[in-house]
Amino acid sequence: MVMWTLLVFVVPQQAYANPDAIRLGMSAPFTGTSRNIGSELYRGAEAYFDFINSTGGINGRPIELIAYDDQYEPELAIKNTLRLLHQDQVFTLFNYVGTAVMSRVLPLLEKFKDEKAYLFFPFSGAQPLRSPPYDQLTFNLRASYREETAGLVNHLVDTGHRRIAVLYQGDAYGRDGWVGIRSALAARGAKLVGEATYRRNSHFTDSFVPQVAILERSTPDAIICIAAYAPAAGFIRDARREKFKGPIANVSFAGFDNIISLLQAAEKEDGRDYTTGLINSTVVSDYADERIPAIREYRQLMQQYAQKKPHAPLETDYKGPAFGSISLEGFLNAKLLVTILRRMGKDPVRADIHRVVSGIENLELGIGAPVTFRGSNQGQHSVYYKTYQDGITPISDWARWQR
Amino acid sequence: MSGAHLFRGAAFGIFVLFGVIAVATSVLCVRTVDKQLTSEYEENGAQIAQALASSSEDVLVNRDLSTMQALIDQYMSIRAIKYIYLVDEKGEILVHTFVPEVPAAIRASDMTRTAIVRRDLANVGAVLEVGAPILGGLAGSVHLGMDSSLIGLKIKAAVGQQVYLISVIFILSIMLSALLLRRAARPLKVLEQYIVSLHATASGGAQPSEARFEALHNRRDEIGALARAVRALANDKPSSGRG
Repeated sequence: MVMWTLLVFVVPQQAYANPDAIRLGMSAPFTGTSRNIGSELYRGAEAYFDFINSTGGINGRPIELIAYDDQYEPELAIKNTLRLLHQDQVFTLFNYVGTAVMSRVLPLLEKFKDEKAYLFFPFSGAQPLRSPPYDQLTFNLRASYREETAGLVNHLVDTGHRRIAVLYQGDAYGRDGWVGIRSALAARGAKLVGEATYRRNSHFTDSFVPQVAILERSTPDAIICIAAYAPAAGFIRDARREKFKGPIANVSFAGFDNIISLLQAAEKEDGRDYTTGLINSTVVSDYADERIPAIREYRQLMQQYAQKKPHAPLETDYKGPAFGSISLEGFLNAKLLVTILRRMGKDPVRADIHRVVSGIENLELGIGAPVTFRGSNQGQHSVYYKTYQDGITPISDWARWQR
Repeated sequence: MSGAHLFRGAAFGIFVLFGVIAVATSVLCVRTVDKQLTSEYEENGAQIAQALASSSEDVLVNRDLSTMQALIDQYMSIRAIKYIYLVDEKGEILVHTFVPEVPAAIRASDMTRTAIVRRDLANVGAVLEVGAPILGGLAGSVHLGMDSSLIGLKIKAAVGQQVYLISVIFILSIMLSALLLRRAARPLKVLEQYIVSLHATASGGAQPSEARFEALHNRRDEIGALARAVRALANDKPSSGRG
């Protein structure tokens, strides 16, 4: 009896909110220069899971999202993944962030192949997540970077910007975007005119003047950045200071809201215009467009559930925007995962995951474009474009960008 | 007679000798360590490049360049590696680790060649570049820039240790020499005092102290012989003085 008491009270127990819960594991940056990405993705997903839990969970079982900070560093993400799979014994991995992180986590998932440890809806459009052998271990909702960069290149070339240069992160994410831009240009009979790199986890306050100088040597008409939001905004600031007037485009990973927020703060300090002539591709539709049913639901649930005080894994000083593209993506990821889990019955088992997901065809998620996983591990292919003009607005007419 | 005069001469000799030893061994050390480390660097670099080239084959053929980039990024945690780049069979760079750009000197070189090259690059420093062909060169080649300044640092460390050791031995030698010469000079000083007092006695002064001289007189070494010679001279001196 004494021994039993000691075991119960002395041996550390993993404290789960509910032992009956369906546990999901997330590794993302919650601190450091990319913390907004992980935090917003988490807030969006958590808002939907909170709603589901408040209405009885999935077939009576609540969802618990266990999230750890990886600071956008692959080594930490590997440790987090091992912890989530071994210690927390999550049902599946969910909402991971970043290509550089994915490139190292995917071989680890290969090791857990027999245990059917799948990764759902990573925040990355990288090709390895969509190609053999890892396409058997992951499911993507968002469009790929190849689709985003091809869209950007085509629109820019169509509007007379044939001389395109690229600023890219010096890692797997940057390389994936670089390949996408190069291929898209080749398809249009053009080549990259210039390229420069920066280090992952660079800060907004860092100088990007050397990169601007390198790219300006090639006299580009437009520049595409494959960057995180802080360095992307830092580069735009320095490019505009150095009088580069052409369009500067970013892909979805950068998060347009975050870029604009940093640039507006810099505009106030410097008295210059940094927000004109920017393009951002996104993989979710306009989060302000309440005509779309899923957007209406997102806005309502974000107001209802995501306005609480920041709690772990979010930093206590973190204050996210009410709405944004990244939290919308997290929300949609959660909504689709809940749909999948519902289809798996009261006691979902990993062995059924592939069969259930592969069976999804023309699923209406309320976003205006059906989701299909039959024959592919990517459910959506839509790419949207935004700019800043008295606020973040969708680009509906490219004529304005004609050179 | 002063021990300091004897010591000064000996110390200068020791100093010159140790200086010659320090310079000669340092030069030898620099040459030996440089040769060994450079050869070791070339060998290690070639092995890493070869390993990278082998693991690149499958990635290049069956995967994509972002996976390749992730692969070479992992090698960058090795301290001695300053950069890695991989080119296709035409010499076009496919992946690299340079920030903010590929140095002009590399872009201007024939990147399909895999021979060992010494480079001194702005923002990178001195490197020893080694290359290895991928699929016999059909799929391009991989190139590694090994940090040459580490060789310099290791040479500095080796020479520093050697100079430190020689300096310690030098100081100990000086201290030991000073001690020995002081011990050797002490009886000479007694002899000197004895001779001076003998001279004083001849001039009507007090008798010299026999006690300290007697100890020297009984020694069986050169000092004893010298003391006995002085005694003999002293014993002869009154008669010649009187005559």
